[in-house]
Amino acid sequence: MVRAVLAGDVEQFAVLVRRYRDRYARYAAHMLGSADAAEDAIQDALIRAFDQLKQCREPDRFAGWFFLILRNRCFAERRRGLREPRPLEDAQQVATSSDGPDGAVERFERRSALARALHVLTPEQREVFVLKHVEGLAYEEIAQRTGTTVASLKMRMHRAYDRLRDELEEHR
Amino acid sequence: MTWEFHPLVKRVLDGELTLGDLPLELRPEAEEALRMLAALDRTPVTLSPGLDVRVMETVRRRAGSPATARESFRAVRVWRWISAPRDVEIRLRVRPWAVGALAAAAALVLLLLARPNATPRGAPAAPTAASAEGSVLVRFVLFAPRAHRVAIAGTFNQWDREATLLAPAGTTGVWTTTLALAPGQHQYAFVVDGERWVTDPAAPAVDDGFGRRNSVVAVPGARAL
Repeated sequence: MVRAVLAGDVEQFAVLVRRYRDRYARYAAHMLGSADAAEDAIQDALIRAFDQLKQCREPDRFAGWFFLILRNRCFAERRRGLREPRPLEDAQQVATSSDGPDGAVERFERRSALARALHVLTPEQREVFVLKHVEGLAYEEIAQRTGTTVASLKMRMHRAYDRLRDELEEHR
Repeated sequence: MTWEFHPLVKRVLDGELTLGDLPLELRPEAEEALRMLAALDRTPVTLSPGLDVRVMETVRRRAGSPATARESFRAVRVWRWISAPRDVEIRLRVRPWAVGALAAAAALVLLLLARPNATPRGAPAAPTAASAEGSVLVRFVLFAPRAHRVAIAGTFNQWDREATLLAPAGTTGVWTTTLALAPGQHQYAFVVDGERWVTDPAAPAVDDGFGRRNSVVAVPGARAL
């Protein structure tokens, strides 16, 4: 598909869009704090992928290459977010209530508190936390995707655990 | 007061240990930690159907825009001009003693360039000397007198703001580090006190595509130094 687009068949890019648009949506939403921000990021990343498609050295590994573009976009957005603190409502958007009636309020509050606490993590800490505990990847897989060592990822994660606990205790 | 999880509890969160592996006194803490993880929202995120349309509209516009076509045409013309073979006739009229003087001057310049410390100290993002396996040592300098911690993040360390710290040069407010970089173009920014992203005032900068600027250092091949 990538080779077809590179050969000039632009319409084939629609197949790539359909295939990859939702794959990293949850990752982007957790990185950025809302589904709306995730949609903007994925749209930007797809257009950027089209612009830079010639730089995709291994067309068979488009998914991993696209992930890195999206990742850069999320990190850039987070940098902006540090300058312009995100309002609380945005942080709560990720914590959409899919709970049933039993204990729904308590679970929703706990989920919202955790979503808010995730915002105090650095993008690197947040990323490893999301990839492991939301996307269910092993440290080795995360290391492969992000070009980082497992030891470094574990260190980030353990700092993230402490920071989350500190944040949650502070607002208890 | 800061709250931290016990190292064994963190290993439970990592999935390396179970609750049963912990001493009894640590289990309540581990249960609390697991409750924290259980609260995490793993609901799939659905994007609007209009996303495909918006992306493809932009992609078609870019692919077929006259500007793009013009740029491609210009690029082709430039490439043809560069790559087309031409006959070049050079006629020189020189005095023999001048040839000797020019050769001596060229040798002197080569000698100076080959010295490892030829670049002035303190010049930011300047390739200074060839190191092992084709990489080149590049010195980065930032003047940040109020900073407590300065790091550098860029394409060479996956934009990891924790991976590469600059060291303070005494109490002058100057922070430096020297990195071995592969030949090519690298984008980077300094991270002051863990959160303020600062471009290198002494280096060119480019748009990062998302509304911010990144500094750029072009590292020549080690043999070119």
